[in-house]
Amino acid sequence: MTRFRGRRLATTVAAAAALLLAACSTTSGGDDTADAGDSGEATGGDIVAAGTYPIESLDPHGAQGASTGTQFAGQAIFSRLVRPSADGSLVGDLAAEWTANADVTQWTFTLRDDATFSDGEPVTAEDVVASFDRMIALDGPNAGNFPEYTMTSASDTEVTITSPVPDAAVPGKLLIFYVIPAGVAPDDTAFFTAPVGSGPFTVGAFTPGDSLELAPNESYWGDVPQVDTVTVRNIPELSARLTALRTGEVDVVWGIPDDQLGALQGEDTLTVETVQSTAVYTMWFNSSIPALTTPEVRRALWQAVDFETIISTLYPETGELADAPVSPLVLGHSPQEPVGFDPEAAQAALTAAGFDFSQTLRLQFANAEFRPFIQAVVSDLAEIGVTVEPLEKEQAVFTEDLLALNWDVNFQQLATPTYDAASNLGRLYTCAAGRNGYCNPELDALLAAASATSDEAERTDLYGQASEIIWRDAVGMYPMAVSLAYAWNSDLDGFTPDPSGLPDFSKVTVSGS
Amino acid sequence: MIRVVLRRLLIGVFVMWGAASLIFVIVRVAPGDPATVMLGPDADPEQIARLHETLGLDRPMFAQYLSFLGDAVRLDFGDSHRLGRPAMEAVFDRLPATIELTLAATAIAVVVGLTLGLVAGGRPGGVVDRVVSAATIALQSFPTFWVGIMLILVFALGLRLLPSAGVGTPQHMVLPAITLALPFTAIVARLTRSSVAESMREPYVQTARSKGLTEPQVLLGHALRNSLIPVVTVVGLQMGALMGGAVIVENVFAWPGLGSLVVDAVANRDYAVVQAVTLLIAGIVMVLNLVADLLYTQLDPRIRMEGAS
Repeated sequence: MTRFRGRRLATTVAAAAALLLAACSTTSGGDDTADAGDSGEATGGDIVAAGTYPIESLDPHGAQGASTGTQFAGQAIFSRLVRPSADGSLVGDLAAEWTANADVTQWTFTLRDDATFSDGEPVTAEDVVASFDRMIALDGPNAGNFPEYTMTSASDTEVTITSPVPDAAVPGKLLIFYVIPAGVAPDDTAFFTAPVGSGPFTVGAFTPGDSLELAPNESYWGDVPQVDTVTVRNIPELSARLTALRTGEVDVVWGIPDDQLGALQGEDTLTVETVQSTAVYTMWFNSSIPALTTPEVRRALWQAVDFETIISTLYPETGELADAPVSPLVLGHSPQEPVGFDPEAAQAALTAAGFDFSQTLRLQFANAEFRPFIQAVVSDLAEIGVTVEPLEKEQAVFTEDLLALNWDVNFQQLATPTYDAASNLGRLYTCAAGRNGYCNPELDALLAAASATSDEAERTDLYGQASEIIWRDAVGMYPMAVSLAYAWNSDLDGFTPDPSGLPDFSKVTVSGS
Repeated sequence: MIRVVLRRLLIGVFVMWGAASLIFVIVRVAPGDPATVMLGPDADPEQIARLHETLGLDRPMFAQYLSFLGDAVRLDFGDSHRLGRPAMEAVFDRLPATIELTLAATAIAVVVGLTLGLVAGGRPGGVVDRVVSAATIALQSFPTFWVGIMLILVFALGLRLLPSAGVGTPQHMVLPAITLALPFTAIVARLTRSSVAESMREPYVQTARSKGLTEPQVLLGHALRNSLIPVVTVVGLQMGALMGGAVIVENVFAWPGLGSLVVDAVANRDYAVVQAVTLLIAGIVMVLNLVADLLYTQLDPRIRMEGAS
């Protein structure tokens, strides 16, 4: 017994010692570029990125299809009919051109004829239609954008999507639609362990929730990426993520909060930039409750908060006062007159409107990162005698309460990933949507009209009129347009920060590799 | 011995049933609908109803419960709709990383904790004892999350000795294992210290000394064995707790274990994964407790005798 115990002890000691020796024997993770060079293989260099999200699945049509991680993987591995350009306008990806019929119930896309999958097979209209049908069959979050929509092909290079009602936003909605080869069944999960796509990259290795390694797709119909590999790692903890960037374990990080930017800007080897995103801080009032029914009350509450000071204090680099309910990158953005900070006028307006100062308004939000902002708003409102109780909720509870209008003021960072106001204003502000208790037939008519024309100038004008009503009636407070902060290793050439947090690595090269 | 094991296994069946029932109820009474979370706030009611049907959530609760129990016996917790694959498959993909981390932390805690406890307990009230006691109190007081961040800042960013996060090499395991091990080390050290200090006052230790044995021989050969009895029990129990603590550590160090899987599963109301992870950990804790009890009987003949009778 004693001898046995002694052996156990020795084994344990040896294991611990090995661990500690391993710790002292090397430096940190490191220089991936050097590794690539040593291997004697392709010399484009290796890039390691750490975003703000995990990649749990590569299936762009499934339950994870709308998640940012799967979207990132999708745009690297697969192609879409259209993709966004840097200014938010849509450009063709697989589609060479597209047109709508007169009543905007049919959109026809003509496919480019040189696109191929990574196995060398051409991308045809049959693949596009099969992919669309698969997405609908899987009934995931992306399918919800296309209720009762159908897609057909008239030839190998032409597909038509038909909607039950006029929908000018179809091209924007298709930003989340990725094309895979026909014949992949809805329940075929094996395909996505080594998927065949027509995007710039193929999958080198994938560990769900941990990392995705991409290699250039040598059959890519566009310019084949020059790097050897792009690895996207999931590092959930911000401090670890930024440390990995500073030690060179990671080359690119984004979603960096303002209070961390200063330290990174002081690093000689890093480039730090912010880019306007499609997101706007949106604080709806529940217009269906007696206290917030009148626009005068809602507007007075907006007036009582010094958003300019709050933003300059908390978000000096990643925030600016919003001038519309949607981001300047979004089609339909129309600048409105700023709501100035005037607490005395706000208090007077509330008193005149008979506002009950003894009541408490419930302000719900879902993420701890917004806590300082929410507290600042609560504090400003308290200055004029309005009591607001901040309620930080878990996402699942937040969503349930959001839909049930179980709140008085609701905070969200609302992005418009389609770059089209239809999926923000058109979707959220109609009487039928019932998302914030506000109902205005005039607004409904404008939003319907904007959805029924494919003329972009006309749509912008209509959304501008809609924005004016939303702003004037203070359906919510729209305090801040959000920018995304990126930091990357200065050895990376051609890296462009992406407004949606979905950077494209296909044009990036590594200096000296 | 066999009777003891069989009795414990029988109790274990009831424990697992209790744990399964508890987790089944807890995930369902928690606010937040899985279909709404998965499909997002824009899903129409029909789409949500279809997903409820797919997930079996439209069935009566008792029918769901019976199906769940029947499937759980076969270790089939159904598909994670969120991940698009069987929940157990996702869990088994992550389990090795968590076990690896837990074992490494346990090894560190046992070796360092026992050593510190022995040294401190060998001379109660001495300088070493006071230093060890103070250090172990501090180690138990520091939040794991904070310790992890501090270790990253010192060893990854400051000294550039170790990688800050991720997996791939043995070095990647060092910081998370130490972070996880520190509070456990303190527990083992404090327990060993008090146990050894008590043993050192026992008559058999005086006898050993009177036979001319050196102090290390007395400590290692006589005091340690008797002091190990409570330590073994605590190690067995703490390994289960370590798996729970690993959730935080894995998050800090981007360690791809069960931690992030279960956190995401809870946030997304992924019932299948939450149930699979919970029952798996319950099973592991149960087995560890059984092993601890068996070791206990080996270390203390009195208990072996009681079990036999």
